[in-house]
Amino acid sequence: MAQLSDIANEFIRDEIEEFLERPEEIERNLALFSRVSPAMQDIAAALIDGDDVTVDRLTREALDGGVGALEVMDDGLIAGMGIVGIKFREGYVFVPEVLVSARAMKAGMAHIEPILAASGVEPIGTVIMGTVQGDLHDIGKNLCIMMLRGGGFTVIDLGVNTSPAEFVAAVEEHSAHLIGMSALLTTTMPNMAKTVEAFKDAGLRESVRFMVGGAPVTPEFGKDVGADGYGKDALACVELAKKLAVEVN
Amino acid sequence: MGSAWKGPAISPAIVKRRGENFTRLTGEWMTPRRRFLSALYGGRVDKVPAMTLSSVITLDSMEIADAWFPEAHLDAEQMARLAATAHEELGLDTVMPVFHSQLEADALDAATWWGTVDNWPATNDHVLTDPEDFKIPSDYLKRPSFEAALGAIRLLRKRYPDVGIVGKVYGPWSVGYHLVGIENYLMDTILDPDKIRRYLEVMLPACMMSAHAQLEAGADAIMWADHANRELVSPETYRDFLLEMHKEVTVEMGGPSIFHCCGETTDRIDYFAEAGWDCFHFESQVDPHVAKEIAGDRMSLMGNINNPTTLFSGTYEDTYEACMKVMEAGINGIAPEGSVPLGTKNAVLMALADSARDYSDAHRPDGRLVVHDPPPADNGAEAD
Repeated sequence: MAQLSDIANEFIRDEIEEFLERPEEIERNLALFSRVSPAMQDIAAALIDGDDVTVDRLTREALDGGVGALEVMDDGLIAGMGIVGIKFREGYVFVPEVLVSARAMKAGMAHIEPILAASGVEPIGTVIMGTVQGDLHDIGKNLCIMMLRGGGFTVIDLGVNTSPAEFVAAVEEHSAHLIGMSALLTTTMPNMAKTVEAFKDAGLRESVRFMVGGAPVTPEFGKDVGADGYGKDALACVELAKKLAVEVN
Repeated sequence: MGSAWKGPAISPAIVKRRGENFTRLTGEWMTPRRRFLSALYGGRVDKVPAMTLSSVITLDSMEIADAWFPEAHLDAEQMARLAATAHEELGLDTVMPVFHSQLEADALDAATWWGTVDNWPATNDHVLTDPEDFKIPSDYLKRPSFEAALGAIRLLRKRYPDVGIVGKVYGPWSVGYHLVGIENYLMDTILDPDKIRRYLEVMLPACMMSAHAQLEAGADAIMWADHANRELVSPETYRDFLLEMHKEVTVEMGGPSIFHCCGETTDRIDYFAEAGWDCFHFESQVDPHVAKEIAGDRMSLMGNINNPTTLFSGTYEDTYEACMKVMEAGINGIAPEGSVPLGTKNAVLMALADSARDYSDAHRPDGRLVVHDPPPADNGAEAD
């Protein structure tokens, strides 16, 4: 089993030691960070620290130095965001810290996405994402989108205040099979059910899978509205999308 | 013992609509307004108040009042008629005319989308990037959102002198979300905390003006919302940015204060009590027993009936049972945790008042005052 001392970056070592509690997550991250190069550890550390300027510079330097785009994304950016996600789940950090790290990830992804797009790598699937009608909150949705893209999905972002008809039209236009609906308000959550109903009316319900999430949304409410899965946070959203993609592919 | 109050706690219309099974609590002697205010301060009540401290407006109520979203947001008469359904139709002890969250932000030049008949208003563009650019318009309290809200409060005060009227203010933290945009605002709590402190400083007077105007128009209390909730920020963020400011607010507001913060707030209830709020309106993620233990006698507690699962998706019986459990925890009054979805059925919401009546009936050892924890039965032991 890998040891903390196998990791060159002191910041990463401290993060694992201080914030990770679940044995399987400690083991996984020790294995991950002891495997990846010091340069990727530095990118992950800067991302966890929310330093977008450094992430931008290090990503550019790594790519210029011949490191593959997928490697930088997986071993640097997503590896760092994984630690942020755990700290968020455990209540060590809150949305502001996640947003600042997300901004840093965005800075890195700006260099990586054009390379991946040009390389013709096949996405795992296409996800239609939107905040439901009447709701203009998009922090959670945007974090999910960033992580889904990092996780290998093509994402069509319908933005906020998305009507059921817009979800249906987007699925038809992009031949997508996965839909993610977000809501922050208890007053707008019922529009998730209306969206599912719209797909039934359009004869498309059987060919798609719905993911739901948002602060007041619960797994039980997801079942009530007819969704196929609930994601508590952006990391869970990616796991759920991968699971549901297998069902519809 | 005071004489029984015989005023219109429940109007003949609602008695008629709900049939012969409807009964008022025997020996009810407080007006809804008196009951609400006494409970707000943790005082004596003849019945646990069942209230709205946000919005209980539904499509059912719009039809009954013939007052509709979105027009009712900007029309005092429609707003008053619609707000009154909380008392007339649902039997609640309070009414709350400001249904939406845009009152201050709209009057401060935020771009407001006023929604549709079945969708809530929201801010659809953010106008502020620098606190030094913030100004309170000279006609701030005359802007359409205020004209409607203040007009509705005046109408309700005149029409329902015995019913509690709750005003609503979004504090500077939440107005900041509307004007600056929540993402930029939250990031600046880390990247530029002094900028956030300056936003709070310049926006606070606008929020205080709103509170004072609503109290002057006839509101009995102000529900003040600043959404520093756990789903967004740490308890230390509330402590570092809002606690001292809220201490000033609770002193300067000049009326009873009810604080609202969404979500799971257990880890910051102690700070809310320290801020001096008279009451905390809390959500269903918080265990009422734990909230009670933390708040003690420092602050009343009202809430926390779940919206999506219980009120919207559940039945009358589910709601009745949930209300009973919350009252058994000894909180000061029951209310939906926040604004209920518009598709919620009035037939379900009626369980709020019914359960309060039945709970109170069973918890009045002297037939007059509700006692949440009745003393154990006399076991024959001699007193000291």
